[in-house]
Amino acid sequence: MRRECKAHFKKISEYLDGELDPGTMEEIESHLSECPECRDCIDSLRKTIRLCKQASPEGMPDAMKRQLHETLRQCLEGHPSR
Amino acid sequence: MNNIQQQTDEHLVRDFKSGSTRAMEKIVERYENPIFAFGLKMCGQPHDAEDITQETFLSAFRYLDGFRGEAKLKNWLFKIAARACIKKRRKKKCEPDRELSLESFMHDGESPGRYDIPDWSEDPADNVLRAELKHIIDKAVTSLPPKYRMVFTLRDIEGFSTGETAEILHLTPQTVKTRLHRARLFLREEIANAYAEKKIQ
Repeated sequence: MRRECKAHFKKISEYLDGELDPGTMEEIESHLSECPECRDCIDSLRKTIRLCKQASPEGMPDAMKRQLHETLRQCLEGHPSR
Repeated sequence: MNNIQQQTDEHLVRDFKSGSTRAMEKIVERYENPIFAFGLKMCGQPHDAEDITQETFLSAFRYLDGFRGEAKLKNWLFKIAARACIKKRRKKKCEPDRELSLESFMHDGESPGRYDIPDWSEDPADNVLRAELKHIIDKAVTSLPPKYRMVFTLRDIEGFSTGETAEILHLTPQTVKTRLHRARLFLREEIANAYAEKKIQ
Protein backbone atom coordinates (compact mmCIF):
# COMPACT_ATOMS: atom_id res chain seq x y z
CA MET A 1 0.00 0.00 0.00
CA ARG A 2 1.41 3.38 -0.98
CA ARG A 3 2.14 6.00 1.65
CA GLU A 4 -0.55 8.42 0.46
CA CYS A 5 -3.10 5.58 0.37
CA LYS A 6 -2.17 4.63 3.94
CA ALA A 7 -2.84 8.16 5.09
CA HIS A 8 -6.43 7.95 3.87
CA PHE A 9 -6.95 4.31 4.82
CA LYS A 10 -7.75 5.04 8.45
CA LYS A 11 -10.45 7.54 7.48
CA ILE A 12 -12.38 5.60 4.85
CA SER A 13 -15.20 4.50 7.16
CA GLU A 14 -15.73 8.07 8.28
CA TYR A 15 -15.63 9.06 4.62
CA LEU A 16 -18.32 6.48 3.78
CA ASP A 17 -20.44 7.68 6.69
CA GLY A 18 -20.03 11.34 5.75
CA GLU A 19 -18.52 12.11 9.15
CA LEU A 20 -15.43 14.02 8.05
CA ASP A 21 -15.11 17.76 7.80
CA PRO A 22 -15.61 19.19 4.28
CA GLY A 23 -11.88 19.81 3.77
CA THR A 24 -10.91 16.20 4.51
CA MET A 25 -13.81 14.88 2.40
CA GLU A 26 -12.54 16.91 -0.53
CA GLU A 27 -8.98 15.77 0.04
CA ILE A 28 -10.05 12.11 -0.06
CA GLU A 29 -12.25 12.64 -3.11
CA SER A 30 -9.36 14.23 -4.91
CA HIS A 31 -7.15 11.24 -4.02
CA LEU A 32 -9.87 8.82 -5.15
CA SER A 33 -10.17 10.51 -8.53
CA GLU A 34 -6.54 9.61 -9.16
CA CYS A 35 -6.25 6.27 -7.37
CA PRO A 36 -8.27 3.34 -8.78
CA GLU A 37 -6.91 1.05 -6.06
CA CYS A 38 -8.36 3.18 -3.28
CA ARG A 39 -11.63 3.45 -5.22
CA ASP A 40 -11.81 -0.35 -5.32
CA CYS A 41 -10.93 -0.48 -1.65
CA ILE A 42 -13.79 1.84 -0.75
CA ASP A 43 -16.22 0.01 -3.04
CA SER A 44 -15.44 -3.35 -1.48
CA LEU A 45 -15.90 -1.92 2.01
CA ARG A 46 -19.24 -0.41 0.97
CA LYS A 47 -20.28 -3.79 -0.48
CA THR A 48 -19.25 -5.56 2.73
CA ILE A 49 -21.47 -3.29 4.84
CA ARG A 50 -24.42 -3.72 2.46
CA LEU A 51 -23.97 -7.49 2.29
CA CYS A 52 -23.87 -7.91 6.07
CA LYS A 53 -27.02 -5.84 6.43
CA GLN A 54 -28.86 -7.74 3.69
CA ALA A 55 -27.94 -11.10 5.21
CA SER A 56 -28.92 -10.02 8.67
CA PRO A 57 -32.66 -10.15 9.39
CA GLU A 58 -33.17 -12.86 11.96
CA GLY A 59 -36.59 -13.09 13.51
CA MET A 60 -37.29 -14.70 16.83
CA PRO A 61 -38.83 -18.16 16.33
CA ASP A 62 -42.60 -18.24 16.94
CA ALA A 63 -42.38 -20.74 19.81
CA MET A 64 -39.92 -18.45 21.63
CA LYS A 65 -42.20 -15.47 21.00
CA ARG A 66 -45.17 -17.27 22.52
CA GLN A 67 -43.09 -18.20 25.57
CA LEU A 68 -41.79 -14.63 25.91
CA HIS A 69 -45.28 -13.12 25.72
CA GLU A 70 -46.56 -15.58 28.31
CA THR A 71 -43.69 -14.89 30.72
CA LEU A 72 -44.11 -11.13 30.39
CA ARG A 73 -47.87 -11.36 30.89
CA GLN A 74 -47.41 -13.40 34.08
CA CYS A 75 -44.79 -11.01 35.43
CA LEU A 76 -46.90 -7.96 34.68
CA GLU A 77 -49.96 -9.36 36.39
CA GLY A 78 -48.14 -8.69 39.64
CA HIS A 79 -47.26 -5.15 38.55
CA PRO A 80 -48.99 -2.63 40.86
CA SER A 81 -50.15 -0.32 38.04
CA ARG A 82 -51.77 -3.05 35.93
CA MET B 1 -56.97 3.38 21.19
CA ASN B 2 -58.41 2.81 17.70
CA ASN B 3 -55.20 2.05 15.82
CA ILE B 4 -52.48 0.74 18.05
CA GLN B 5 -50.37 -0.32 15.02
CA GLN B 6 -49.86 3.31 14.06
CA GLN B 7 -49.00 4.55 17.53
CA THR B 8 -45.61 6.10 18.15
CA ASP B 9 -43.34 4.70 20.84
CA GLU B 10 -44.09 7.77 22.97
CA HIS B 11 -47.82 6.99 22.86
CA LEU B 12 -47.22 3.35 23.70
CA VAL B 13 -45.06 4.28 26.69
CA ARG B 14 -47.72 6.71 27.90
CA ASP B 15 -50.45 4.07 27.51
CA PHE B 16 -48.31 1.47 29.27
CA LYS B 17 -47.86 3.84 32.19
CA SER B 18 -51.64 4.26 32.33
CA GLY B 19 -52.02 0.50 32.71
CA SER B 20 -52.52 -0.72 29.12
CA THR B 21 -51.40 -4.31 28.71
CA ARG B 22 -51.99 -3.99 24.95
CA ALA B 23 -49.39 -1.20 24.82
CA MET B 24 -46.89 -3.51 26.49
CA GLU B 25 -47.64 -6.24 23.95
CA LYS B 26 -47.23 -3.77 21.11
CA ILE B 27 -43.82 -2.64 22.40
CA VAL B 28 -42.71 -6.28 22.57
CA GLU B 29 -44.00 -7.02 19.05
CA ARG B 30 -42.19 -3.98 17.71
CA TYR B 31 -38.79 -4.76 19.21
CA GLU B 32 -38.57 -8.51 19.93
CA ASN B 33 -37.02 -9.35 16.54
CA PRO B 34 -34.23 -6.74 16.55
CA ILE B 35 -33.38 -7.42 20.20
CA PHE B 36 -33.32 -11.17 19.54
CA ALA B 37 -31.12 -10.69 16.43
CA PHE B 38 -28.76 -8.51 18.45
CA GLY B 39 -28.55 -11.13 21.21
CA LEU B 40 -27.92 -13.83 18.65
CA LYS B 41 -25.10 -11.87 17.03
CA MET B 42 -23.51 -11.17 20.39
CA CYS B 43 -23.91 -14.59 22.04
CA GLY B 44 -24.25 -16.94 19.08
CA GLN B 45 -26.89 -19.29 20.54
CA PRO B 46 -30.66 -18.93 20.07
CA HIS B 47 -31.39 -19.84 23.71
CA ASP B 48 -28.97 -17.14 24.91
CA ALA B 49 -30.62 -14.63 22.58
CA GLU B 50 -33.99 -15.71 24.00
CA ASP B 51 -32.76 -15.09 27.56
CA ILE B 52 -31.42 -11.68 26.56
CA THR B 53 -34.70 -10.71 24.91
CA GLN B 54 -36.71 -11.78 27.94
CA GLU B 55 -34.36 -10.06 30.38
CA THR B 56 -34.44 -6.86 28.31
CA PHE B 57 -38.23 -6.60 28.30
CA LEU B 58 -38.63 -7.65 31.94
CA SER B 59 -36.13 -5.03 32.98
CA ALA B 60 -37.68 -2.43 30.67
CA PHE B 61 -41.21 -2.92 32.01
CA ARG B 62 -39.95 -2.91 35.57
CA TYR B 63 -38.41 0.53 35.06
CA LEU B 64 -40.61 1.99 32.33
CA ASP B 65 -42.65 3.99 34.83
CA GLY B 66 -39.52 6.03 35.50
CA PHE B 67 -38.65 6.38 31.80
CA ARG B 68 -39.00 10.05 30.98
CA GLY B 69 -38.25 9.79 27.30
CA GLU B 70 -34.94 11.68 27.20
CA ALA B 71 -33.72 8.87 24.94
CA LYS B 72 -35.75 7.10 22.27
CA LEU B 73 -37.42 3.91 23.49
CA LYS B 74 -35.44 1.83 20.96
CA ASN B 75 -32.12 3.25 22.21
CA TRP B 76 -33.11 2.64 25.81
CA LEU B 77 -34.07 -0.98 25.06
CA PHE B 78 -30.77 -1.61 23.27
CA LYS B 79 -28.88 -0.13 26.18
CA ILE B 80 -30.54 -2.69 28.45
CA ALA B 81 -29.94 -5.46 25.88
CA ALA B 82 -26.25 -4.54 25.51
CA ARG B 83 -25.84 -4.77 29.28
CA ALA B 84 -27.62 -8.14 29.29
CA CYS B 85 -25.29 -9.43 26.54
CA ILE B 86 -22.17 -8.35 28.43
CA LYS B 87 -23.49 -10.00 31.61
CA LYS B 88 -24.38 -13.20 29.77
CA ARG B 89 -20.99 -13.42 28.05
CA ARG B 90 -19.21 -12.83 31.34
CA LYS B 91 -21.29 -15.50 33.09
CA LYS B 92 -20.62 -18.02 30.33
CA LYS B 93 -16.92 -17.18 30.38
CA CYS B 94 -16.94 -16.59 26.62
CA GLU B 95 -13.71 -15.91 24.77
CA PRO B 96 -11.95 -12.73 25.92
CA ASP B 97 -11.85 -9.61 23.78
CA ARG B 98 -8.80 -8.95 21.66
CA GLU B 99 -7.53 -5.89 19.86
CA LEU B 100 -7.58 -5.49 16.10
CA SER B 101 -4.82 -3.21 14.89
CA LEU B 102 -5.26 -1.00 11.86
CA GLU B 103 -1.80 -1.97 10.65
CA SER B 104 -2.85 -5.61 10.37
CA PHE B 105 -5.18 -4.56 7.54
CA MET B 106 -2.52 -2.59 5.66
CA HIS B 107 -0.77 -5.03 3.42
CA ASP B 108 2.62 -3.75 2.38
CA GLY B 109 3.45 -4.33 -1.25
CA GLU B 110 -0.15 -5.13 -2.13
CA SER B 111 -2.81 -2.89 -3.53
CA PRO B 112 -5.56 -1.89 -1.08
CA GLY B 113 -8.45 -2.89 -3.36
CA ARG B 114 -8.02 -6.61 -3.98
CA TYR B 115 -11.20 -7.82 -2.28
CA ASP B 116 -13.83 -9.73 -4.17
CA ILE B 117 -17.07 -9.25 -2.23
CA PRO B 118 -20.10 -11.06 -3.66
CA ASP B 119 -23.55 -9.54 -4.16
CA TRP B 120 -26.57 -10.64 -2.19
CA SER B 121 -29.28 -12.08 -4.42
CA GLU B 122 -32.98 -12.05 -3.53
CA ASP B 123 -33.76 -14.36 -6.46
CA PRO B 124 -35.52 -17.52 -5.15
CA ALA B 125 -33.45 -19.54 -7.64
CA ASP B 126 -30.33 -18.59 -5.66
CA ASN B 127 -31.47 -20.18 -2.39
CA VAL B 128 -28.48 -22.48 -2.05
CA LEU B 129 -25.95 -19.79 -2.91
CA ARG B 130 -27.64 -17.41 -0.50
CA ALA B 131 -27.51 -19.99 2.31
CA GLU B 132 -23.79 -20.55 1.66
CA LEU B 133 -23.14 -16.84 1.65
CA LYS B 134 -25.15 -16.33 4.82
CA HIS B 135 -23.04 -19.02 6.48
CA ILE B 136 -19.85 -17.20 5.43
CA ILE B 137 -21.15 -13.87 6.73
CA ASP B 138 -22.41 -15.28 10.03
CA LYS B 139 -19.09 -17.01 10.61
CA ALA B 140 -17.20 -13.79 9.88
CA VAL B 141 -19.40 -11.78 12.24
CA THR B 142 -19.08 -14.39 15.00
CA SER B 143 -15.29 -14.37 14.74
CA LEU B 144 -15.21 -10.59 15.16
CA PRO B 145 -14.00 -9.81 18.72
CA PRO B 146 -17.07 -8.93 20.85
CA LYS B 147 -16.35 -5.25 21.49
CA TYR B 148 -16.03 -4.66 17.75
CA ARG B 149 -19.03 -6.87 16.98
CA MET B 150 -21.21 -4.88 19.34
CA VAL B 151 -20.37 -1.56 17.72
CA PHE B 152 -20.69 -3.01 14.21
CA THR B 153 -24.12 -4.53 14.98
CA LEU B 154 -25.50 -1.33 16.46
CA ARG B 155 -24.11 0.92 13.73
CA ASP B 156 -24.32 -1.08 10.52
CA ILE B 157 -27.10 -3.56 11.24
CA GLU B 158 -29.40 -1.61 13.54
CA GLY B 159 -28.61 1.75 11.98
CA PHE B 160 -27.85 3.72 15.15
CA SER B 161 -25.75 6.84 14.60
CA THR B 162 -22.23 7.18 16.00
CA GLY B 163 -23.55 9.40 18.80
CA GLU B 164 -26.39 7.03 19.69
CA THR B 165 -24.05 4.02 19.71
CA ALA B 166 -21.62 5.90 21.94
CA GLU B 167 -24.46 6.71 24.31
CA ILE B 168 -25.81 3.13 24.36
CA LEU B 169 -22.38 1.61 25.06
CA HIS B 170 -20.96 4.42 27.23
CA LEU B 171 -18.09 5.01 24.80
CA THR B 172 -16.71 8.14 23.21
CA PRO B 173 -17.80 8.79 19.60
CA GLN B 174 -14.15 8.44 18.54
CA THR B 175 -13.94 4.95 20.07
CA VAL B 176 -17.11 3.97 18.22
CA LYS B 177 -15.61 5.21 14.93
CA THR B 178 -12.32 3.40 15.51
CA ARG B 179 -13.98 0.11 16.41
CA LEU B 180 -16.44 0.32 13.55
CA HIS B 181 -13.71 0.92 10.99
CA ARG B 182 -11.66 -2.04 12.19
CA ALA B 183 -14.76 -4.25 12.37
CA ARG B 184 -15.62 -3.45 8.75
CA LEU B 185 -12.05 -4.10 7.59
CA PHE B 186 -12.00 -7.39 9.47
CA LEU B 187 -15.32 -8.52 7.99
CA ARG B 188 -14.24 -7.58 4.48
CA GLU B 189 -11.13 -9.74 4.81
CA GLU B 190 -12.92 -12.68 6.36
CA ILE B 191 -15.75 -12.65 3.83
CA ALA B 192 -13.47 -12.15 0.81
CA ASN B 193 -11.13 -14.96 1.93
CA ALA B 194 -13.94 -17.40 2.69
CA TYR B 195 -15.68 -16.55 -0.58
CA ALA B 196 -12.46 -17.07 -2.57
CA GLU B 197 -11.95 -20.47 -0.90
CA LYS B 198 -15.53 -21.46 -1.69
CA LYS B 199 -15.07 -20.50 -5.32
CA ILE B 200 -11.93 -22.62 -5.61
CA GLN B 201 -13.81 -25.61 -4.19
